[in-house]
Amino acid sequence: MDLLLKERTMYDVIVLGAGPAGANAALEAADNGLKTLLLDEQKVAGGQVWRAKSKSILKAPSTEASEKGDELRTKINQSAIEVKFNSRVWHIEKQDDDTWLMASDAEQLTAKALIIATGSQERIIPTQGWTLPGVIGLGGATVLFKEHMMVPGRRTVVAGNGPLVFLVASEIIRLKGTVAAVVSLNNRIDWLKALPSMLSNPSLAWQGFKWIFKLYKMRVPVFWQHGINKIEGKEKVEGVTVIKVDHNWHKSDQAEQYIPAESVCYGHGLMPAIEATRLAGADHHYDELLGGWVPTIDKYGRTSVSNLYACGDNAGILGVSVAPMRGRMAALAVLEDLTGKKHNKKDLKIFDKAKKIGLAATALSIPRSGLQSFITKDTEVCRCECISRREIEHEIKTGALSPNAVKSGTRCGMGPCGGRYCSESLALITQHISKKTRSEIGLSTARSPLRPVALDDISNEIDYDKLPIPGVSPL
Amino acid sequence: MIERSVEISFEFDGKNYPAFDGETIAAALLRSNVLNIRNAPSGSPRGIFCVMGACQECVVEIDGIKVEACRTSVADGLIIKRAHDV
Amino acid sequence: MNVIFDIAVIGGGNMGCGAAIRLAEGGMRTIILEQGDIGQGASGVNAGTLSLQIKRVKLMPYAIKGHEEWQNMGAEVGFHKTGGYTLAFNDREAELLYERMTLKKEAGANISFVSDKELIEKEPALARKVVAASYCGDDGYANSLLSGQYYRKKIKQSGISFLEKFKVIQIRENSDGFEISSGGQTVVAKRLLLACGGWMKDIAAMIGADLPINARINTVSVTERAPRLLNSIIGHATGLLTMKQKENGTVLIGGGWQGKGTPEQGRGNVSLETLIPNLQLAKFALPKLSKIRIVRSWTGFEANVPDFYPLAGRLANKENVFVLGCVRGGYTIGPYISKLMGDYILGRQPEMPLFDPSRDFK
Repeated sequence: MDLLLKERTMYDVIVLGAGPAGANAALEAADNGLKTLLLDEQKVAGGQVWRAKSKSILKAPSTEASEKGDELRTKINQSAIEVKFNSRVWHIEKQDDDTWLMASDAEQLTAKALIIATGSQERIIPTQGWTLPGVIGLGGATVLFKEHMMVPGRRTVVAGNGPLVFLVASEIIRLKGTVAAVVSLNNRIDWLKALPSMLSNPSLAWQGFKWIFKLYKMRVPVFWQHGINKIEGKEKVEGVTVIKVDHNWHKSDQAEQYIPAESVCYGHGLMPAIEATRLAGADHHYDELLGGWVPTIDKYGRTSVSNLYACGDNAGILGVSVAPMRGRMAALAVLEDLTGKKHNKKDLKIFDKAKKIGLAATALSIPRSGLQSFITKDTEVCRCECISRREIEHEIKTGALSPNAVKSGTRCGMGPCGGRYCSESLALITQHISKKTRSEIGLSTARSPLRPVALDDISNEIDYDKLPIPGVSPL
Repeated sequence: MIERSVEISFEFDGKNYPAFDGETIAAALLRSNVLNIRNAPSGSPRGIFCVMGACQECVVEIDGIKVEACRTSVADGLIIKRAHDV
Repeated sequence: MNVIFDIAVIGGGNMGCGAAIRLAEGGMRTIILEQGDIGQGASGVNAGTLSLQIKRVKLMPYAIKGHEEWQNMGAEVGFHKTGGYTLAFNDREAELLYERMTLKKEAGANISFVSDKELIEKEPALARKVVAASYCGDDGYANSLLSGQYYRKKIKQSGISFLEKFKVIQIRENSDGFEISSGGQTVVAKRLLLACGGWMKDIAAMIGADLPINARINTVSVTERAPRLLNSIIGHATGLLTMKQKENGTVLIGGGWQGKGTPEQGRGNVSLETLIPNLQLAKFALPKLSKIRIVRSWTGFEANVPDFYPLAGRLANKENVFVLGCVRGGYTIGPYISKLMGDYILGRQPEMPLFDPSRDFK
C-alpha cells in the first residue's frame, strides 16, 4: 500500500529511549558499526535522571546530573548515531519478515532489532485529595529541579517512600524553597537496614544520609513511619493531615496531625515502564525486587521475542549506576544476534556486583500491602475517568477479577493516560479483596497508541480515491 | 547564580502571563502560581501532576489540539486555551 | 467435582451466555467454561454497532429480532437507539448503496434514502462530500464493554455455574457424556455447546470435528472525549467504516479493517497498514476528528465460515454436541439466535430456522 511506504530506512537497530541505558546502547551499537537510530520523546538525550536544563536557563551552577548528561550528549553528537528527539513512538509492530515497524506521529520507522529503554514511571498510590492541583509526583518534582531549576510550589510537604523523598526535600531546600515537612513511610530502621548494602557503594549511601542530615540541620520536621491521610483544599492544596502507619504501612488509629501547605510532592517508588515491551509482545513477570512487572530477559536483555531487547530501569529498577552497562550489554547482544560477532563478557561480572547495589536501593521503595488503606472509598483511583474505589470494589465483588474485566465494567484505566496511574492501585485493591498474588491478578491488555495521538498527527491530507479500500462485505 | 532567558508573554484561559523563552507551559504557569489547569469529567480541578508527559492531567488546547503543558514550550504571544473534556 | 452437568457451554460470550440462560430456564443443569473472563472476547471488544444497514439480507429477520433483544436489555448494556446513516462518497459507492439498501429494505429493514439537506441538518459535522446516504431509524449501538458485567450478573441470577480462566485443552467422550479438562480441572457434562467464536475450530477438533472456520481480526479505535460531533451512528457504503459518539463524548471508529494474529496466539494486534486507512476514512467522513486524539486501538476476533452465515445446530454424527457462532454481525444477532439455540437443545421448535453446521459451505 503506497500510502504507507514512504521511503523507509531499515536500521540495524532502533533504540527507544535516550536515557543512560538507551543512549549507551546506541553508542555501543554505533561504535560496532551497526546502523543505529536513537529516539526519545524529550528534546534531548539524558532521560529523567540526566535530564537537560530547559533552553530558558542560560547559565546555572552545574550538578552531577547536568555534567553526566552533558558528557553523554557530547558523546552522542560525536558518534555515528542518528537521533530523533521530540519523537513519540505510538505504535510497535513485528512484521512478517521478523523486522520491526514503528510509528512516530506520521513517520514510520523500521529496524532489524529493537532495544527498548523507556526507563521507569512513578508509582503513586492515591490518598484523599490526591487529584488537587498542587500535588505532583516525586519524579515530577525532579523534572522541575533539573529542567527548570524551580521548586514545585511555595510551601511543600514531601511524602512517600524510598530515597526519592529525601532527595526531593533536599533539592527544594537547595533551590531556596520551603519544605513544610517530610513524611516518610519508611522508618529509620528501614534506612539502617539498607545501609550495609549501600556501603558497598559509598557515594550512594553518603548521598542518602547527606540528604537526611541536611533536612535535620534545616530543622525540617521529619515524620518517620507516617503517611498522608488526606490532602486538604478546595481548588488547590491548602494542607495535609499525616498519620502514623504500622509495619505494613496500613494506617494506624492514632491521631492525625495537620500541616498547612501549598504543594505536595509524593510517590511510592519507581516501576519499570513496560508499555512498549508489552506492546511488542514480550513475556513479562512480576518481581517485587525489580519494581513490579518486568519483561523476562536474559543477562544481556534479550526478551522472549526475537530481535527485541530491553535495558535500563524498564527491565527492572536497578538505577543509574548500572544503566549504562545494561545498555551496552543489550547492544552487544544485538551485535551478536545480527552479525554473529562474539564479545568480551567481562562486563557481566561487574554487572552482577552493581546489580546488588541497585537492588538494595530498591528495597526502600517496595510498596507494602497496607498502602491500600489510604485509598478511601470515595477517592478517585482512575484520575482520567474519575472512578472511585467504591465503584472498583463493587465490580470486583460482583465477580470481575481480572484488570481487563474491571476496566470494562467501570472504565477504570480507559482514559487518556492508558491506566498508567491506576493499574497499580487497581491491583492493590483486587489483591486486598481476592487475596490473589500479583502474578495471578495479571495486567490488562497492552494496546496502541502508547500515548494519545491526534488524527492529524498520524496522517496528512488524504486522497479519497487512493484509500486502499478492500472488497465490500458480503451482501 | 541562575541566569534565565528573556521574558516573553503568553495567554492562558484569556489572561496574560510572563514566561522565560524556551521553558514549558507547565513551568511558566507554575511560576505564576496558576495551579488549576483543567477540570476532570467529574468537575474536580486538576493541575500538573507527573511532569513527564504521561498522566495527561496538564493538557491544554493549542489550535484546537490537546497538548501536554509539561512537554510543550511557550512562545511569545502563544494563545493557550483551557481544555474542555465534555 | 462429581456433578454431571446436563450441558457444558464452552465460551462465555454473548452467544454462550445467552444460550446458557435459555437452557437453565428450560431446566438444564448448565455450566459455562470460559478461557478468559465472561464477555471479554469478541463480545466485549467489538464496536457495539447495532445497524440493520450492515446486516446481510438473509439474516435480516434475525437482526430485527436481535435489535428487540438489545432494546429490552436496555441501559444495563448501554443500549442507545440513535438511528444511523450510511454514506457514499462517490458514484460507485452510491450505486452500491442503492442496490444493497433496496434489498435490505425489501427484507424488512426500515431503511430510507435521505437527501443531502436532511443529512446535513441532522449531522452537520459530516464532510460535505456525501453523494448519497441512507437512514435507518432502528439503528443504534450498545456498549460492548458492559457485556461481561451484564452476563455475569444474569448467569448468576439464573443459577448457572461458570468457570473463568478455564482453557479447555482436552475433551474426552465417555459413557456419561464428555469430560472437559483444562489440565487442572475437569468438568463432566452430558452435552456440549461450543460457542467459542474464533476459538471454535480448535475446540471442535478436540472431538474430531473439522469446521471450516476462519477468524477475522477486526480493528476498533476510540478517541478521547470530544465536543458533540455525531448524533447518530455512521456507516459507509462499503461497510468499511462505522462511527458513533458515545454519551461520554468519545468516538468509536470501526469498520472491520483487519489486524494481525490468530486466536491461537491470543489477542490479535493492530496493524498500521490497516489502522491508518481506517482512521483516514473516519477523518475524511468527519473532518473535525483531525484534532482529536486517539487513545486506544485494539482488535477482536470474529469467526466466520466460507458462506458467512451462522453455525447454529447439532454436529453431524454427534448426537450431543451443538455449535453456535460464526455470524457476520454476531453481536447484533447473538442475544436472539442464542435463544433459538437454547430452544433447539431443549427439544423445542425454534421460532426461526437454525443454520446446520454440517451443511455444504460452497
